[in-house]
Amino acid sequence: MNVHKHSHLPFWMLLTLAWRNLWRHRKRTIITLSSIAIGFGLAVLSIGIGDGSHNSLIRNAIKLGEGHLTVQPRGYLEAPANHKYLEDGLALSKSMQTLKLAGTIEPRISLQVLSSTANNSVGAALEGLSHENDPRGIMLSNELVKGEWIKPGDLRGIVIGEGMARKLKARVGSKVVIMAGKKGGDSQAQLGRVRGIFNSQVPEMDDYLIFSDIQFAQRFLEGEGAELSRQPVTRFAIFLDDPDTLYHWKDKIKAAVESKAVIAMDWQEMMPQLVQFIAIDDAGNYVFLLLILIMVVFGVLNTVLMSVLERAREFGLLRALGLSRRSLLMLVFCESLILSLLAIVVGWIVGGGVHLWFSQHGIDFTAMIGEGGNVMMGTFMDPVIYTELSWDRVTQLTTIIFIVTLASGIYPAIKAARVTPVEALRT
Amino acid sequence: MALLTLKDIGKRYRQGEVEVQALSGINLEINEGEFAALVGPSGSGKTTLLNIIGGLDAASHGTTQLNNIDISALKEAQLSDFRLFQLGFVFQSYNLVPVLSALENVELVMVLQGRHKKECRQRAHHYLELVGLKEVMQRRPSALSGGQQQRVAVARALAAGPRLVLADEPTANLDSENATALLDIMHTLSHEDKTTFIFSTHDPRVMDRAERIITLQDGKIVNDQEHHHEHSDKHEHIN
Ligand SMILES: Nc1ncnc2c1ncn2[C@@H]1O[C@H](COP(=O)(O)OP(=O)(O)OP(=O)(O)O)[C@@H](O)[C@H]1O
Ligand SMILES: [Mg+2]
Repeated sequence: MNVHKHSHLPFWMLLTLAWRNLWRHRKRTIITLSSIAIGFGLAVLSIGIGDGSHNSLIRNAIKLGEGHLTVQPRGYLEAPANHKYLEDGLALSKSMQTLKLAGTIEPRISLQVLSSTANNSVGAALEGLSHENDPRGIMLSNELVKGEWIKPGDLRGIVIGEGMARKLKARVGSKVVIMAGKKGGDSQAQLGRVRGIFNSQVPEMDDYLIFSDIQFAQRFLEGEGAELSRQPVTRFAIFLDDPDTLYHWKDKIKAAVESKAVIAMDWQEMMPQLVQFIAIDDAGNYVFLLLILIMVVFGVLNTVLMSVLERAREFGLLRALGLSRRSLLMLVFCESLILSLLAIVVGWIVGGGVHLWFSQHGIDFTAMIGEGGNVMMGTFMDPVIYTELSWDRVTQLTTIIFIVTLASGIYPAIKAARVTPVEALRT
Repeated sequence: MALLTLKDIGKRYRQGEVEVQALSGINLEINEGEFAALVGPSGSGKTTLLNIIGGLDAASHGTTQLNNIDISALKEAQLSDFRLFQLGFVFQSYNLVPVLSALENVELVMVLQGRHKKECRQRAHHYLELVGLKEVMQRRPSALSGGQQQRVAVARALAAGPRLVLADEPTANLDSENATALLDIMHTLSHEDKTTFIFSTHDPRVMDRAERIITLQDGKIVNDQEHHHEHSDKHEHIN
């Protein structure tokens, strides 16, 4: 005899056996697959809603805030002050223009001021916007409750929020004195006239912001010693047509404008609290995902383990006939592998379907969160959320589900390989 | 030189405090081509002995040699391969893989042996024809009668070309007509292929087909004689 001959389970036989074994209990396999698919659908939906709402929050925060990228004086973010401004806005603007960036570059001026009427005085931020293309202006002009937005060339007009209007007892047409401190300790003032009143639902804006033409605000910088001919500004807010190009343009802008006095930052650096808020919210979603994964593990484990336990005799027989322990392990593992591949396919059909539907039709959260309840972190979330799913998420979810289902096949496979023929065959 | 030599085989089972001496002092030689029955009352040790010969269970004492290979010295993985290439098994019931057809069941062992697909198919067809199942070979075991299933198991055991076929009560679940028919098939094939058979049984009619009858009682061989079916002249087998 030849002791060196070994058993060999060919791949086609392995697949045939595994596939047929999987469908021995059709109902059980189908129930497992559908429970995994439903879990997967829920996971895709919850992550889609999370990503969709976060992206909506980010988009609004960027539009209402300082753009995808911001060019401003170094140290401004840490300690904003009226005397921190970009002296040579013209030069910076020119050097950025040569990049031929796909998006818009908005010069802006922000100043801490005191606004007063005959009735009252309140601290405020004066925001000088360059023209009607500024996304912030466009967005807020849709939220006007009274009057109209500042027209181009209107060097006296201001727009204020409802909160401030209430405090100042101002209405459309009212005169407001805007006063700013100077570096030396003196102060300077200009007279503005209310053209419109907005209500954005965001208290941080409604109570605090005054919008004007950039030239109106520039006069205060002139008082700080700036030369108007060099077009001084507090910052440039850069809005990209494609947010995915952020890092590409960030590098270019940095190279073009950064110096000892000037820094270019992305929105994440500008709004660290928002980034943190999203990270915490994401963590909640991951907990949900974890619960679904546990469900999936028990689904696969239950199906495969049950089929292993009831087939002990058959495994004993196969081992008696000369199937190696390794081949038996492979066989049972292969059953889990096929089950998990099927689960992923079915899961994506369900999850993808759910996502496609809600990415088109959206989910209306108005009833749930109520009017104004979607305001957070100084910005707001659209009341109708369209689920979003990036390719990163697709690969992430697929890998996780695949690894998890496979891992849950390990124990049953080991269990099966442990079967000894004598015990299994004893009746 | 005998094909199978058992020397002083003993087997003890321990169940908690109680020790059961299932086999003791078994000496046995089986020659190539023998068609031997292992008989004895329930609990006499037939299954235990067949399991030890088949390398499914380890003896507590003694050595087992098949074709000069010391089975008792083989390791787990080697035993598995040993069974695959040297032995054929027919069990009392549940012999077949339920998800494979009769034909695939017969092919399976040969596939594991690494034979070519075509050879597997040809041999499987041949042996299924010999056991009279050519017409139903595409059926799964669940669609076969008990007698047919046992015949598939015999075809599978022989198609793989073993040195020795071990059958533990292969007819226990069959009516006497099917039982004798199965034994006749086994007998014929044993002669044609010169394959050695050891089978255990309770059934006197099945015993009657054997050429040698080894009787076990309380784990010992108490009788071992040649058996001639036609003349029924019996004489002691020299051991
Ligand atoms: N795993 C085991 N653990 C403990 N005792 C065992 C075990 N297997 C068998 N025995 C005992 O060994 C003795 C021989 O059993 P065995 O199954 O070999 O008998 P048998 O001749 O095949 O009986 P039957 O005709 O009923 O099949 C019996 O007393 C039995 O109880
Ligand atoms: Mg028995």
